Amino acid sequence: MAVGIGLVAVTFAALVQVSVMPSFSLFGVQPNFLIVLLAAWVSIRYRREAFVLIPAGGLVLGLLDAEPLGLAMLALTPLIFLAEIREMRLVESDLLPAVILVALATLSYEITILLTLAIEGEHLNMWTSMLDVLVPAVMANVLLLLPVYGVVRLASWDMRQQRAF
Amino acid sequence: MRVRTRTWFSLVVAVSALFIIASQFSVFDPLDNAVLIVAEPIEVGLRDASQPLADFVNNATNAGQLSDENQLLRQEVERLTSENARLQASESALNELKQLQSIRAPKQGDAFLEASVFARDPSNSKDMIAIDVGNSDSVKEGMVVLTRQGSLIGTITKVLDDSAWVTLMTDPSSAVGALIQESRVQGVVAGSLDGDLTMEFVSETADVKEGDLVLTSGVGGRYPQDELIGQVVGVEKAAQDLFQSVRIKPLADLSRLEGVLVQTGFEPREAN
Repeated sequence: MAVGIGLVAVTFAALVQVSVMPSFSLFGVQPNFLIVLLAAWVSIRYRREAFVLIPAGGLVLGLLDAEPLGLAMLALTPLIFLAEIREMRLVESDLLPAVILVALATLSYEITILLTLAIEGEHLNMWTSMLDVLVPAVMANVLLLLPVYGVVRLASWDMRQQRAF
Repeated sequence: MRVRTRTWFSLVVAVSALFIIASQFSVFDPLDNAVLIVAEPIEVGLRDASQPLADFVNNATNAGQLSDENQLLRQEVERLTSENARLQASESALNELKQLQSIRAPKQGDAFLEASVFARDPSNSKDMIAIDVGNSDSVKEGMVVLTRQGSLIGTITKVLDDSAWVTLMTDPSSAVGALIQESRVQGVVAGSLDGDLTMEFVSETADVKEGDLVLTSGVGGRYPQDELIGQVVGVEKAAQDLFQSVRIKPLADLSRLEGVLVQTGFEPREAN
């Protein structure tokens, strides 16, 4: 049930990412709703759900974006390891790990895309990439996390309640 | 790290790699096309529904600017500037013709196909948009895309049956042969990661000033001649450099494209 809801949510997030998010600009970049949703889900929900939702999210985004199918999925795979680390519960709070997860997942995603540009022969300055893409993208996604985290937390509580009855 | 996690991670990486390799052979193009056909109306609906919120947020972050009015004024300025540029280009071409006393072939590339933008690539390192015309409308890779007002946006880089991806000129991989209209100085307009346009390889002695218009030069054959690119907004010269750096602002607002024109009459020369 939760995985089903999660699949609908990541599909919706991928659609929002390619259609709605380009209209919003934070720190000169567009926030990535899908990464934020997946990180919030991984922080709050269970690892087994993350195992399905992370590749599914990457697959759906890959079908909607301009990159080769599989690239978005590859860029999001480190979240699987991060989900495992999250399950160790090193800190009590869910929000702090979510912030760290969003930052790491954003870096992983953007670095993968930058690497494909480099492979295609583009000369990329590391410093410029950092200032123009990586740092603003992390900041924008962390800001977007706050409302998304609240919604996922509420939805998760609701799903647990339903299961209890 | 648990064995199950490692196994799952390896499996996902392997499947991703397999998909990427298969994509190079266009194996997934029919699937991509089918998904985009289904997704297009949803994406357009979502975009339209969120537009008031986007306008509110953007207006709030750019205090004092009324987005709609600004947009309309920009389009009008762009249209008039484009018209002016074309007239000046025609006048200059006519003068050249008179001087040469010879007849030049009519300008190619005047056939257009109207298209709507329905998606944008989610990566912050690339600048690409999806439009709702493709192979079935005779759209081909390399075709040039303009705004409805007539200034350059980019080129078609991926074509599916019913849709196509356009790489905008602000994309880091984009390079357009260009010239300054007033001085006819040539250079290359290149995109960048932060979305800015820079005209490179402009000799340090060239006369370039703010407000000059930048047009395509047609050199290389990948773009038609005299299409409007933008306006010079800054010139940087360093004493030790051979070239000056010219910052260009596109006349169109490339972050809010809705309708575009594909120049179907222009056949780009194959890149070597």
